[in-house]
Parts: sequence; structure tokens; C-alpha cells
Amino acid sequence: MFDLIGKRRWFFAFSALITIPGLIFILLTPITNGAAGLRFSIDYTGGTTWSIRFANADVQADDVRAELIRLGQEDAAVVRTGKGFFDIRLAKLDLRGVSPTPTPLPTATPGPTATAAPSPTASPIVTPPPSPTTGPSATPPPRASPSASPSASPSPSPSASASPSPSPTTGPSPSPTPIPGSNTQVPTDGEIGEIAAALQARFGPIAEQASLSSIGAVVSSELVIQAIVLILVGSIGILLWITLRFRDVRFGATALVALLHDVIVVIGIFAILGTVFGVEIDGLFVTAMLTVIGFSVHDTIVVFDRVRENRARHAGEPFSEIVNHSLLQTLGRSITTSFTVVLTLTALLMFGGSATQGFVLALLIGIVSGTYSSIFNASPLLVVWHEWDDRRRGRRPGVPATRRAPA
Amino acid sequence: MRWTGPLLIAVIGVLALFLDFFPNLTLPGRTADEPARLVETKLGLDLQGGLKVEYRVLPAGGQSPDATSLEVVRGIMERRVNSTGVGEPIVVTSGTDRIIIEVPGATDPAAVRRLVGRTGRLDFVPIPTTMTPPVKDQLLDLTQLTVLFSGDKLKSASIGTGQNGERVVVFSLEDEAARTFGDWTSAHVGEYFAIVLDSAVISAPRINEAITGGSVQISAGGIAGFPLKEAEELTNVLRFGQLPFPVEELSSDTIDPTLGAEFLASSLLAAAIAISLVIVFMLVHYRLPGLVANFALVYYALVVLAIFRLIPVTLTLAGIAGFVLSIGMAVDANILIFERSKEELRLGKSLPNAIEAGFARAWNSILDSNVSSLITASILYFFGSSVIQGFALVLIIGVLVSMFSAITVTRTMLRIVVDRSWSRRPWLYGVSAAEMVLRPGARGARREVAGGV
Repeated sequence: MFDLIGKRRWFFAFSALITIPGLIFILLTPITNGAAGLRFSIDYTGGTTWSIRFANADVQADDVRAELIRLGQEDAAVVRTGKGFFDIRLAKLDLRGVSPTPTPLPTATPGPTATAAPSPTASPIVTPPPSPTTGPSATPPPRASPSASPSASPSPSPSASASPSPSPTTGPSPSPTPIPGSNTQVPTDGEIGEIAAALQARFGPIAEQASLSSIGAVVSSELVIQAIVLILVGSIGILLWITLRFRDVRFGATALVALLHDVIVVIGIFAILGTVFGVEIDGLFVTAMLTVIGFSVHDTIVVFDRVRENRARHAGEPFSEIVNHSLLQTLGRSITTSFTVVLTLTALLMFGGSATQGFVLALLIGIVSGTYSSIFNASPLLVVWHEWDDRRRGRRPGVPATRRAPA
Repeated sequence: MRWTGPLLIAVIGVLALFLDFFPNLTLPGRTADEPARLVETKLGLDLQGGLKVEYRVLPAGGQSPDATSLEVVRGIMERRVNSTGVGEPIVVTSGTDRIIIEVPGATDPAAVRRLVGRTGRLDFVPIPTTMTPPVKDQLLDLTQLTVLFSGDKLKSASIGTGQNGERVVVFSLEDEAARTFGDWTSAHVGEYFAIVLDSAVISAPRINEAITGGSVQISAGGIAGFPLKEAEELTNVLRFGQLPFPVEELSSDTIDPTLGAEFLASSLLAAAIAISLVIVFMLVHYRLPGLVANFALVYYALVVLAIFRLIPVTLTLAGIAGFVLSIGMAVDANILIFERSKEELRLGKSLPNAIEAGFARAWNSILDSNVSSLITASILYFFGSSVIQGFALVLIIGVLVSMFSAITVTRTMLRIVVDRSWSRRPWLYGVSAAEMVLRPGARGARREVAGGV
């Protein structure tokens, strides 16, 4: 029988080969202050992305960039896509123009309070019901003549009863600023409006705007914290669940190590891809990571389940052999289950469009890594831990206690 | 007992088909005043095109916005967006200080921004005698009129009771404005003035007498006075017409509808390809059980879609990716079961027993792994932002439905199928004739197989 566990050093070495460069590139991010390592999308850094197409198809990306730099956007990045669109990335822009600070009103407690209650001595003016048919062009509602002298009311706070003009029950209100329906509207307000105007002055009209996103710094910093918290909480949740189900913290902890391995592999590969090809990680990356965390333990659980079953059935066999058995017995299905997921993800990657490509790629890497780490890291680690425990208890590892099954 | 399983499966299946394909199906609202809802597949902004803006409500005057004032701000924003008459804008609060506005179909963020982000301007405008008294919602050109004073001179506003017990709205003015108002009303009794929010008339009462004390009462016709709703609206405008708290735009996203349509088309294509690949793989690799699993997979897809339409779940790009991913994961349970069954078959169990054993033995692994997926998906759902939540909900529904389809549906169908004589051919299960045992006890003693594959 093939001895997988015996070759564990090779498998650990292979994992190290992937994770260590990945870790180095991840660490490069803070060291180089973002020049190398992970490239964050505007979801994290804040900023503006803008996808436009000029009516003039001859406009070049470099020209657009030069113009943007001239406009004071030193960090502008411009990429021309296949369909003639320019994907423009800018630093944080104020899209709004100036926002006035309102004078906050004194917040009165709701309900009919008596603060402004009219004095009862006020002239008893009969306000007749305004005729409901009165439209905007109708004559003023008939006045019931102010019998009691209108201005003669001696009260310090004379209440003026004023009759509101008939209000037609609100239908669709007139639109003060109609938003155009499907027609793309190039922005005219704020800084981006100025940039749009300058670009159009230089390169002719913008024919189409596919998308415009801007993200402020508050959202970004929240997202980073949220990402870390989500991944930590997710990992702890899985550690607890597996420990609970297998009643052995060693199962939970080794599954967790395999899982962190996958997280590091995915982030590390994205750090390398970011440095070399400028691949960015966006807001969905966290989602991909957590999905990987949830899925990568599937294979680990299948192996561990078999280990538990075989341990009960073949009590007395050395633990390493039980694990080796279990691994070989479940190898086929571990690979097959991951294969179907890889199949669907590959379809998404190839045909699913550009918007989710990074997300799908992260999932794909994570799931392949998850299968590898389940088979070649989690289970051998379990053996290492067991043998270490055995040694500590003064027993020599690998020696059969009672009987040895013919293998 | 024997028929409850198939019956349940059939009922759920028919229900799902009905929800998926019956045109113009409507559901009654959950509460009495909620209108009936059309059952439809809801698409997110990224697939439909449109505009999404997220605002943060900032503290003002040393006061942080609480849930009530957040709701007031949301209401004001909603009214403003609704006034454009475009699409079906969604304005929701999020967290403790966020308001998210989604306007499907709109592509000009500046227009919404102009409308929503501004703090609002409440003006008190005398209407010249030459002009017809304006009606509610009429737009006034304020450049042509003199504004007497603005909302910041308002001290308070509330609903009160008039002399005859009718419902009135009362508000009071600060001293300076009270004087101005007193002077003006003294000279213009019988004329009209308008309360104007962002150029739109909210109310235009007639001056019945000089109002010099700064305390003003507006009454409506009828014995009961103002209808409660109208009074509340007017009071709210008077109190909050100017947003009670300043808002700050955090992010905005504009997607062109044509781009959204492209995204939708490509993700649907990818989903179709993914499903086909999985179906072909299962058929080639597992043969007859694979066919059954494929049926369960289609069943799964129909049920999930029905649930999406029922809840409704808004499908985004990430959501569709999550759905496609869940298709790959839905067959996982079947793979575990079939591999285990094959193993049991090779160990000498009869076909029906091997299948039952496969289900029983694989159950632990399936439960554990699905629970771990549910753990991470729930964390995403409860702590994630709205985009992440959409994906997580899709994943949660997917995992739960797949446990039903891959276990109950597949097992029920397999039980029926293996009872048929035509199905007892080894090649249908991908095992050799020697490994195939059709009935319990048909081949004497259990064959000894050394552990392993």
C-alpha cells in the first residue's frame, strides 16, 4: 500500500514552497507601502473608478492619462479595454461639490404638545372648508368674513388660523430634477464633472459611460477591519464545530491549520499576481475567502470522518497506518468532489464576464489549495501530533500495541 | 409510509415549477395594508443597471442620530427620490448611521445627489395677490418671489388642537422672524403665504388675521381639522424639512443598464455551461446513480430559484456566482454517497444494501461539511455588508436545499430504480460483474477485501 504519511515531509515542503513566497509578498505590502505586494481595489483604498468610451475611437490611453495628470490627477491609471472603453482609476474625488452644513433644528418632542398652543381668546374665526375642487388656477376659496375684528385680539399670542389651500391628495409628484432613464449621463457636478468637461474639451464627446463608482475612506477602512474579523470569526467557528463533532481538539486544530494554509495561499498568490500583473483584490475577496474556509474543510472532514471510523474498527493499529488507510480510501472522493466545484468555477472564470473574475479566481485557488491541504497537510499533521503525544506519554510511536492487520 | 417520501418530493417539485414558471403570479401582502406582490426574479443593481449611493448621517450639535432620527432622514430622502418618478427607488437604513439609496435604471448620480444629499431648504414665502394661491406640491420659482424667512427661524412645530377640538398644526418662530411675520401678516390679512420645501409647496394657508406673537396655527377645513397623516407630514416637514442631521456621501456606484444586461447574459451563460459540465461528468463517472443525481440537481436548481422568487432574494453578480458554486457543491453529497456505495458493493454487500449503507455512512461527513459551510455563510450574512449578505443568503439557501435534494430526493429515486430488473446491470454502476451482488445473501460469504481501494 502506498505510504502517504511517510512522505509527509515532502508534502509539508511543497506547502512551504507556496506559502513562504506568498507570505513574503504579503509582508511586502506594508513594507513598501503598497508599491509591491497586494493591490487593493478602491473598495479598500477609497477612490473613483470610471469607465467611459469616447465617440472618437482613436483616443489613446496614454493621452487620456496625460490629460488627467495635467488636470492634477497624478495617480490616474487608464486602461483601454477591448470594446474601446477606458477604465480610469482616480484618487479620491469629491463628487458632490460643496455640501452645506445645515442648521439643525431644535428637536421638539413629537406629539401634540402645548408649546405653541393658541390662546383660547383668539378671535373665533370660522375657517370654511376650502372647496375641494379648487385647482391651482381656481379662484381663492370663499372667505368667511372675519367677523370679530381680526387684528383686535388682545391676547399676547394671537393665533392665526390660516386655512390651507385645498391639497389634492398627492399623486405622482412633479419631478423637479428628472433622472434620465437608460441614457447614460456624463457627470457634470463636482470634481468629476470638471474632469469630464476637460476630457470632452480635449478628446471630443464621451459617447458612453459604463460605470462610475466612488468610495470614501470610511467605507474602506471599515472593510479591512471587517475582512479580518470575518475571517477570524469564521475560522474559530469551524475550529469549535470540528472539535465538538470529533471530541478531540487535535482534529479541530489541524483542520484550522489546513484552513489557514489555504487563506495564506490565496492571499499570497494574489499578492504575487498583484505585484507582477497588477491584479487587484476587491470587496468580494473577503467573501471568496470565507467561502474557501467553509469549503476547504469539507475534504478534511471526509478524511477525519474515515479516520474516526477506521480507528473504531481497527483499534490497536498504529495511528499513522489508520490515517494512511483512511486517506487512500477517501482520496478518490476528495478529488472528485473538488473536481465538480473546480468545473463550475472554471466555467464561471471563462464565461462569467470580467466583473467577477477576481472573485472566481480566488475561489478556484482556494478550493484547489483546500483539497491539497486536507489530504497532505491536515491528516499528516494529525499523525505528527498524535505521535508527539505518544512520545510524551513515554510510548514509542509506530509500534503496534496488540495486533497488526495485514496490509 | 412508503409513499410519503415520493409524495413530498412531488409536491415540492410541482410547487417549485409553479413558482418558477407560472406567469404573473402574485402573493398577498404579509399584512393587511401591504399590497399584493408579484412573484418575480429580482435582479440587483449590478445586473439591472442603476445607481446606488450610500450616505452616513453625521452627528450635529453634539447629538448623534438615533434610530428615530435616522428613520426621519430616510423618510425625507425617500420622498425626495420618489419625487423624481424614476423606477422603483429603494431607500433603506443600514447599521446605526447609514442610509442606502438604490435607484434602478438611473444613471446620473449627480441628479440623485442634488436631490438627496442636500440638506433641504424650508422657506416661508408670501404669495403676491397677483398670483393664484398655489396648491400642494406645486413648484415655485423662488427667484421671482421674496422669501420672508427660512426654516432655521422655526423654533418648534407640533400637532395641536384648535378651539373646536379640531386637529391643527402649530409652530412657533424665533423672535426676529416672529416680528417679521407679525408685520407682514398685519398688512396682508386675507392673502396667502406658502411653506415651501426645496421649491415645492407643502402647504399654502391663508392669513386670517395678524399673527404677531410668533405662534402660528394652521388649520384645515372640516370639523375634525387635519387628517392625522397630513398633520404629521406637515409637522415633520416643518421640523425636519431641513435634514435634522447633515449627511455625508460615503460611496456611489453607477452601472449602465447595457453593461448590467451584459453581466447578466454572461453569468447566465456561465451558469448554463457549469450545470452542463457537472451533469455530463456525473453521468460519465457514476452512470445510473449519476443520472439520478442529475435529476436531483435539476430539482435542486428549480427549488432554489423558486425560493429566490418567493422570499425574494435579490440576485447580484456575486449571488449568481454563489448559485453556480452551490451547484458544484450540491453534487458533493451524492459523490460521497456513491463512492461509499461502490465501496460497500465491492465489499460484498448486495446492491440495495450497499446503497443504503452508502447513505448511512456518508451522512456524518455530509452533515459536518454542510454545517461548516453554514457557519461561514451565516457569519457572512450577519456581519457582512449588503453585497456580501446577498451572496451569503444564496449560499445558505443552496446548502439547505442541496441537503434535501442530494439526500432525500436521490435516495427515494434510487430505491425505486434499483427495484427494477432492468437496472441490475453492473455497468450501470461502474463496477465489474464480479463485484456486483444483486440480492442479500446471493453470494454466500462476504468476500475478504483488504482495506483500501
